[in-house]
Amino acid sequence: MTATSERRLLTILLVLSAITLISWWIGAQHGQGEFRLNGPVTFGVLLIATVKVRLIIGEFMEARHAPRLLRRVADAWLALLVSSLLAIYFIGAGFHT
Amino acid sequence: MTDAGAAADCARFAPPDERIRPGDAAHYVPGQPDMWVFVLVEALIFASYFVIYMLHRVQDPALYLRSQERLNAGLGVTNTLILLVSSWFMARCVQSSRERRYDVAFRQVLFTMVLGLLFIGFKLIDWSRMVSEGLELSTNEFFSFYYFLTAIHVLHVLIGFVFLIVAAYQLRSPLRRSQEIVETCATYWHMVDFLWVMIFALLYVIR
Repeated sequence: MTATSERRLLTILLVLSAITLISWWIGAQHGQGEFRLNGPVTFGVLLIATVKVRLIIGEFMEARHAPRLLRRVADAWLALLVSSLLAIYFIGAGFHT
Repeated sequence: MTDAGAAADCARFAPPDERIRPGDAAHYVPGQPDMWVFVLVEALIFASYFVIYMLHRVQDPALYLRSQERLNAGLGVTNTLILLVSSWFMARCVQSSRERRYDVAFRQVLFTMVLGLLFIGFKLIDWSRMVSEGLELSTNEFFSFYYFLTAIHVLHVLIGFVFLIVAAYQLRSPLRRSQEIVETCATYWHMVDFLWVMIFALLYVIR
């Protein structure tokens, strides 16, 4: 394996692992004692998950080399999913505050 | 013919090992396009599960938050890291195979399998701990979603093993080797990884 691609894949793994731990830490900080509804934590956690999924598809699955159609379909799926989840969460949270 | 057209024809008709390599062109689809269609269908099905989960969650957030307190988040994050490392090994396996370093690629697919087994092992430990604490499928709505999503994901991990075995089988003999099939198998395994990333966020970490 070329040193460049080896280094790139390792960097991606380290970034993915680091943001996984950050996401866990954010959840844990707000999990001491009783868990409470928390919009900023949910927003941050879903944003981190979006970055992770996009990195996996783009780098590990090599979609960044793929034709534009494939990249756009992948991005559209992810954007639609996460925006739907956030919209449902925040609209729903409005009824409980 | 334009350069892009010639490149596309080259990608379509050349033997797998001679196809355009990533970096050579911006129009390279790793593996068989059929697998990408399959991944899209799976991604849409799981997206509908996630949306249904969220629709139920917002109706009774207190129940979901109380139930989340009973999960072992440490085991969840460990399993996430395990799958990420397994995906990293599989991505390296594709690179090694592309460079015709088949022994290295074979070892990397074996490491991917070991990590996949570790993931399932930890999941079984987690399930048995929860059942022993009386947290079952019928305990409440959250745990119904929890067992459904994690079990259907484990089913996909098990199907992933079939693809990993096919990749290992391909890499083992010069007569069978096909870069396209190795890439196809890797594409499926990475899908299993990114689906877990979403499941981990939704079940364990959001508040």
